[in-house]
Amino acid sequence: MASASATYEIKSEHGEVINTSTGLSNKKLLMWAFLGSDVMFFGSFIATFLVYRNRSLVGPYPADILDIPITSVSTFVLLMSSLAMVLALSYVQDGRKKLGTFWIFAVVVLGAIFLLFQVYEFNHFAKVGLTPRTNLFGTTFFILTGLHGAHVTLGVLWLMFLGFGSIKGTLRADNAIDLELAGLYWHFVDIVWIVIFTVIYLISARDVAPPGSVPWVPGAH
Amino acid sequence: MSNFLNKILYHDGQGWWDLPRTQWQEPNPKMEGPLGDGITPIKRIWEITTAANLHHGTPWFYVLIGAILSIITIVEVWAFAWLFLGDLLVPLMLVLSLGKFVLVVGFFMHLKFDRKYYAWIFTACMVIGIGIFVALLLLLNYGGQVQQ
Repeated sequence: MASASATYEIKSEHGEVINTSTGLSNKKLLMWAFLGSDVMFFGSFIATFLVYRNRSLVGPYPADILDIPITSVSTFVLLMSSLAMVLALSYVQDGRKKLGTFWIFAVVVLGAIFLLFQVYEFNHFAKVGLTPRTNLFGTTFFILTGLHGAHVTLGVLWLMFLGFGSIKGTLRADNAIDLELAGLYWHFVDIVWIVIFTVIYLISARDVAPPGSVPWVPGAH
Repeated sequence: MSNFLNKILYHDGQGWWDLPRTQWQEPNPKMEGPLGDGITPIKRIWEITTAANLHHGTPWFYVLIGAILSIITIVEVWAFAWLFLGDLLVPLMLVLSLGKFVLVVGFFMHLKFDRKYYAWIFTACMVIGIGIFVALLLLLNYGGQVQQ
């Protein structure tokens, strides 16, 4: 009888060889644990944003600067990238290489478009006078959305690597667990953005200058 | 208690819903429900789209989830831009984003199809994360000012 700490191999329904000491895939277990830690990480930053909400003493304030229509489009792009990701995994697991590769690169392209929206937004905010040093809103906004953007960037690079692996034939149905892990990461990035979009862009978007603060005048910075 | 229930639910040993048999003693047509068998094609489409195997849905099922996510996002933006809900805005947005969160985690991340152990890990971390979230909000809102 194997000891409790022994690692052995099992085969998944897709023929993947999975190393395990618990009956669960070690890789997947690690990824879920990492995502759990990331929940706490982002939870802290979102809470910090809410704590400092309406406490900026100088503008620009959210109502002066946030552009909901543009961010709605970028949110839609990220949601669709999540759909592309789950389709990519489904096709790779079924051994349909061309469709799998196509959808992996669709995720890469949609992720890159989301990042371009974020670069445009950051650039626009900096031009009108909101930087991380301007006020509490700027500090908490740029840290939270910037960290999310860093996660998206890492995901795009990871998926690009896997996409080329799929072309070369190193990513197959029997090791689709590697794509599944990237998919879990990508969907997590998506759900974090669902929360950020709601908290920053929809709930806080009408926040104006709080009592005792200096109203913002465009072009006065 | 059982007598009381029998009096309410039964009549002469038969349920109130047991209709008198027809003289032909024909059984009810198969699959006939409140909507007749008109529901069958819809049920069949649902089965085809959802039941790829025990471990994940079909591509069409995921497209369906993607469409629902898109509709919820459109409703969010519409409610924000056109409905001036006042104090109702925050709870509405939280409920809608919770719906999106559950759909992505449950179906796109396969927690609905996968081993329950993963769901427990993620849920435990979510509980700790929400605990940190609430603690930070309470501490920094009601914890007093930092002494300079």
